[in-house]
Amino acid sequence: MTDKNTSSKYSKKYKLSLTNSKLFDTIKMLIAILIALAITFVILCLVSDDPVNALKTILFGPLSKRRYIGSVIESFIPYAFAGLAAGVLFKSGGFNLGAEGIFIICGVVIAAIASAPVTTSPILHPILCYLGAMALGGVLMIIPSFLKAKFNTNEMVVSLMLNSIYAAIASHIVRTYMMTSKSNSVASKDYLATAKIPNLYEPYRISICLILLFVVMIILHLIMFKSRLGYQIRLSGSNPKFAEYSGISAFKLAISTAAIAGVLCGMGATTHLLTQSSFYTPSQSLVGIGFSGMLLAMLGKNNPIGIVVAAFLIKYLEQGTAVLYFVDKSVPAEIVAIVEGIIIMLISSQHFLRRLREQQLLKEGLEEHAE
Amino acid sequence: MKETILKLDNVTKVYPNGTVANRDINMEFEKGEIHSIVGENGAGKSTLMKMIFGIEKPSSGVITYKGKEVHFESSMDAIKDGIGMVHQHFMLIPSFSIVDNIILGDEPKKGLFVDTKEAAKRCQELSDKYNFELDVNAKVSTLSVAKRQKVEILKTLYRNAELIILDEPTSVLTPQETEKLFDQLRFFKQQGHTILFISHKLEEVKQISDRISVIRNGVSKGTYLNDELTMEQLTNLIIGRDLDNDMDAYKTHEDFHDEKALVVEHLKMEHNGKGVLNDISFAVKAGEILGVAGVEGNGQIDLVKCIVGLQKTQYEGSIRICGTDTDKMNIRQRRDLGMAYIPEDRMGDGTAGELPISDNLISTYYTREDINGKLFMDNKKIAKVSDDLIKTFAVKTKSAEAAVNSLSGGNIQKVVVAREYNTNPKFMIAEQPTHGIDIGSAEFVHHKLIELRNAGAGILLVSADLNEVIDLADRIIVMFDGQISGYFPDGNDVDESSLGMYMLGAKHQSAEEIGGALND
Repeated sequence: MTDKNTSSKYSKKYKLSLTNSKLFDTIKMLIAILIALAITFVILCLVSDDPVNALKTILFGPLSKRRYIGSVIESFIPYAFAGLAAGVLFKSGGFNLGAEGIFIICGVVIAAIASAPVTTSPILHPILCYLGAMALGGVLMIIPSFLKAKFNTNEMVVSLMLNSIYAAIASHIVRTYMMTSKSNSVASKDYLATAKIPNLYEPYRISICLILLFVVMIILHLIMFKSRLGYQIRLSGSNPKFAEYSGISAFKLAISTAAIAGVLCGMGATTHLLTQSSFYTPSQSLVGIGFSGMLLAMLGKNNPIGIVVAAFLIKYLEQGTAVLYFVDKSVPAEIVAIVEGIIIMLISSQHFLRRLREQQLLKEGLEEHAE
Repeated sequence: MKETILKLDNVTKVYPNGTVANRDINMEFEKGEIHSIVGENGAGKSTLMKMIFGIEKPSSGVITYKGKEVHFESSMDAIKDGIGMVHQHFMLIPSFSIVDNIILGDEPKKGLFVDTKEAAKRCQELSDKYNFELDVNAKVSTLSVAKRQKVEILKTLYRNAELIILDEPTSVLTPQETEKLFDQLRFFKQQGHTILFISHKLEEVKQISDRISVIRNGVSKGTYLNDELTMEQLTNLIIGRDLDNDMDAYKTHEDFHDEKALVVEHLKMEHNGKGVLNDISFAVKAGEILGVAGVEGNGQIDLVKCIVGLQKTQYEGSIRICGTDTDKMNIRQRRDLGMAYIPEDRMGDGTAGELPISDNLISTYYTREDINGKLFMDNKKIAKVSDDLIKTFAVKTKSAEAAVNSLSGGNIQKVVVAREYNTNPKFMIAEQPTHGIDIGSAEFVHHKLIELRNAGAGILLVSADLNEVIDLADRIIVMFDGQISGYFPDGNDVDESSLGMYMLGAKHQSAEEIGGALND
C-alpha cells in the first residue's frame, strides 16, 4: 500500500523530468540511437547513390521477409547468453573477462557429446550437450575469480590469459582426437542427428532455445532484483567495502557469480553450435561471442531484460546491413560496427547530456529551497 | 576604512545532485584581519571556501579579489593570485620531505633540474621567519599532526599567499596545540596576511577573530564585530534556536546487573613491526556509554577494526562481545552476537551511494525473516520498513527509492544510524558518529544513542570531538600512542583541558588507575 502511495505522489512531479535517473537513462539511450543513426545516414550519403533507401533497408529490411527475422532470432540467442553472463559478473563488481575462452573450450565438450552415440533419444541428447557445457563453463569461470578472491591476483589479466590458453587447448584436442579426414581445417566430426535442436516454427530456424533464453532471462531478473543473492550482487557491485562491512562474504559471492556466468556461457555455446553448425571448428565457430557479450552488458546496463533487448537490436541491425548488401554492394557490411560503436560510446559517456540534467536539477533545487 | 581584499556578491552554488550549498552570499573581507566563518557542519562553509579557492565554480554571482572580478578555473589560478588554503584533510605526500612537499608543483629550476638546495634554503628561511620550528629536510611521515599542519601553512606562505583559508584547522589539534596555532595566526596578521578561519567551535572563534560571518543553511546571516557579539547571540545566529547540550537529562539509570556488552583484555597488535595497540584492556557495560577520546591516529581506528572483525592482520588478546569470545570470528558472526557498528567513513564503509535508501537501510540484516518471503526478499515489507525508518529518523528525502548520494551528509548519517539501530543491538560501536554533519542531525543521533543506552545496550563511542565525548559518555578512556593513557570513571567530572593533557601524552595514569576501565 505504502509503496503505491509514494509512487503516485511523486510520479506526477517527476513526469518527463531528467532528474529521475531511470528515465534519464532511457532518454539518453534513445538519443544515442538517434545520433548513431544520423551519423550512419551521413556515411550512407557519402558511399551510396540512394542513401534514403539504404537507411530504410537497414531499418526495415529484416522485416521484409520471414526468413530474415528467423535469421535474426537464430543468431541473437547465443549472444544474449554471453551478454547475460557478462552482466552478472559486471553487476557484482567483478572484472572477469573469461567468457570468450569459456565459449571456445565448451565447444569441445559439446562437439564430443553431440558426435558420439551416447543416447538414441533426440530429447536427451541435446540436453546432455547442454549439461556438459554448463558444468564445464561453471567450473572454469570460477578460476580467475577464485584466484582474485584468495590471492588477490589481477582478475582481468588472468582471465584474458586463460582465454588464449583455452583456445589453444580446444584447437589441440580437436586436432588430435576429433578430426575427420574429409575436412581441411581443424574441425570435429559431424554431430549426430539426435543432437539437433528442433525448430519451433518450420521451416524458419526459430528454435526452442528462444524459450530457454526467455526462461533464463526471467530467472536472472528475479535473482537480480528479488533474491538475497541479487541483493548481495548489487551491494558488492556498488561498494565492495560496504558489502564487507555489512557482513557479506566477498569470496562466496565471487565464486557464485562466476559459476552462474560460466553456466550461462555453456548455454550460449551449446545453443550456438547445435543450431548454427553441424560440426565444430575451434578457430571459427564460437570466436568473438564472449567479447561481444561484454558490449551487450554495457548496452543493457547489466540488466537481464536490457541485455536481451540489446542483443536483439544489434543482430537486427546486422541483418539490416546484410539485406542492404544484397541490393547495394556499395555499402560495406561493416557499417553496423560504426553504429554499434557510436551507441556504446554515447551511452557509456558520463558527460553526455549531463549538462541538461544538471540545469534541471539546479532549477528544482532552487525551487525546493524557496519552499 | 580598511582596504577590502575580497568581496562576494550574490554568490550561489548548486551542486549537480540538486543540493543548494550556498544561496546569494554577500560578504566582504578586509586586508589584515582574522575573519571567522561559522556555521553548523553542512551549512555551506566549505563550499564557499572552495569557490574562493577555485576548486568549485559559483553557479551565479561575482567574486571580487583585490578590486578585480575573478573567475578561477582551478585552484592554480587562486594560488597565483595569492590565495592559499589549508584543507581539513592534509594534502601531503608522507614519503616526501617537507621541502619536496612544499615545492611540489612550483619547483625552482636550475637548468633542467630542480634546485633542491635553493628550495631548502628558502623553506628554512620562511620556517624560521614565522617560528615554525621545522627541520625542512625531515620526512613528512615522521611528523605529528600539528607539524604537518604547519607544513601546509608553510606551503601557502611559500607561494606568497596573502589570503590564507584555514578549514577547520583545530579539529585535529589538542587544546594546547590550538593555543600555539592561534599565536601563529596573530603573528601572520601582524605581517599583513588576511586569515579566513573556518570552524564550528565557537569558543575558539570568539578567542581568535576580529570579525565573524555566520552562515546558516547556505544563507549568510551577516557579518559582526567579535566584540559586539555574545556567545548566546552567536549560537542563536548559527542554529536559530538554543542548543540543547545537557544530554544527562535524557539518561535513565536502570540496573543491568553489571552485564558486560564488551570485554577487551590485553589487546596487542603490531603493524610493520611497530606496535599500534599496546596491551589495551577495558569493558563496556550494558546500559552505559564508554567514551574513547584521543587525537586522531593514536590507535582508535585499529582498536575499532579489531573489535568489529574487519582487521586483516592478526592481533593478540581477547575480545568478548556479549559474553562470547570472538576469536577468529568474522564481522557477520560478531554482528549475530548483537553487535552494531556506525563506521567513521559513512560513504566508504557505511553506504552504497548509488543504491536506493531502502537497499541501504537493510544491508546488515537483509536475511532477517521479517523482510523475506520463502524464496525471495519481500520488497513490500522492505518498503514498509524503510518508510518507517525514514519517518522515525526524519531523513529528508522525496522517497525511499532515491539514491543515498543525493542526500546531505547529515541525512546519510541518519540512514546509517537508522539501519544499525534497527538491528536491536546489545552492543554498538559509534565511530565519529557526528563527524561533519549539521548540529540538528548530530543532536538527533545523540538522542538515539542515549535511547539505545537507556534500553540496555552498551555503547563504545569513539570520537575526536571532545565535547561529544564529555556530553555523552558515562565513563571515558583516553588513547595515546596505542595505549590507554587515562581513565575517568565519571564522564561528568572532567573538562576539556585535563583530557587534553592525556591526549597529548603529557600525563599518563598508573596501571592501577587505568585498570578501572576494565574492572569498574
